[in-house]
Amino acid sequence: MAENTDRFKAVVLPHLDAAYNLARWLTRDIHDAEDVVQDACVRAIKYIGSLKGDDARAWFLTIVRNAFYDWCKRNRPMEIVQDDGTAIESAVDPAAVDPYQAVLRNDESKALADAVEALPVAYREALILRELEELSYKEIARIADIPIGTVMSRLSRARDLLQRSPVLHAVN
Amino acid sequence: MNCKQAEALVAADADGEVDTLRHHSLRQHLQICMGCTARQRRILELRKRIRDEVPYFAASPALHARVRATMDATHGSVPSWKRSSGERWAWLTSGVLAGCAASALAWIVGTAVLAWQANEDFGVAAVGAHVRATLGDHLIEIASSDRHTVKPWLSARLDYSPPVQDLAQQGFPLIGGRLEELERRPVAALVYRYRKHTIDVFVRPVASPASTSSLRNVRGFNVAHATGPSMDWLAVSDAEPEVLSAFVQRLAREEIPQETPQRE
Repeated sequence: MAENTDRFKAVVLPHLDAAYNLARWLTRDIHDAEDVVQDACVRAIKYIGSLKGDDARAWFLTIVRNAFYDWCKRNRPMEIVQDDGTAIESAVDPAAVDPYQAVLRNDESKALADAVEALPVAYREALILRELEELSYKEIARIADIPIGTVMSRLSRARDLLQRSPVLHAVN
Repeated sequence: MNCKQAEALVAADADGEVDTLRHHSLRQHLQICMGCTARQRRILELRKRIRDEVPYFAASPALHARVRATMDATHGSVPSWKRSSGERWAWLTSGVLAGCAASALAWIVGTAVLAWQANEDFGVAAVGAHVRATLGDHLIEIASSDRHTVKPWLSARLDYSPPVQDLAQQGFPLIGGRLEELERRPVAALVYRYRKHTIDVFVRPVASPASTSSLRNVRGFNVAHATGPSMDWLAVSDAEPEVLSAFVQRLAREEIPQETPQRE
């Protein structure tokens, strides 16, 4: 395992911020995100032999995503079950956004971040990978294990939802 | 191009996923269509707001410590963060690993076509230097946004004088420099910031006069290369490949003519 650990340290560890950022946006919780990244690191060390290409960041993010969904199945099964086309409209329902929390934060610049947090997980994931990790459609498709057309439709829906989000318009 | 076609393309175009030909037809359509232009503007405004207001969360020192503990744990010692219930390890060693193996296998198939670049390659060496610098504390040895401070510091330590430009106006503020040893030669490394990304730019005298530029991905980092009149420019970063490529080509294009080597 020593070689695995050395290679993990050299090749994968530099992408720890990207891993945490994705996990943080998926779990929406600091501690849960750290647990998911921790788990992803254990898997990455174990399976580092399967990393053949150059793209360690996308490879690591794929593992983080898998670790998140496994974590989610155990801790928040409803979040995945809900995540189909019909439940998604609730994301823009004003009632779905907690105004009390927004007031507590007392920070207008947080409004958009709140709206992103309120997106259904599949849309949130595509948006974060595109806008914060700046990955291409092809890379997102590979990480999320979906066709490129689905990446495009999820991004499009995520953007539509954000533009229609009451949280966003409350600021303007 | 009609509105229906344009509508489908506007978002992909904003994401840099549309080829030159279709990009051109879309631009022609946007010049005459206010509806689609508004649509494009909304996407670009949203992007700007996301990049300005939606935070990028970096791993905390505590998480770094936990991951280090994990690495130690794989050598057989007991990790300090381990939960008393021990449930974490119990499920980790069960079906989860099987699921992971399946996705890992899928990954092998997907990436087998990407050959690992030759080890002697300068780009690979540069990525190694970038990783060592960002992991440790020596990313910057001379911290300054003033090129008139960074340049003499580097010139004094090299047998050439690297041109140093500040492109803060273009969104790439200079934050410092350091000395690297690549392929058994001291090389100037300039450190720039682009949004939340750090860009390392390795500058060395041109090895061959042929002007080339290239872009590729090494270990998940983008590596962009360009040759100027007297210098070889190689940028390493996790910033977007197109941005990095344009940046390094600009550095090479606007290279100040080679000055005489100076020593202090």
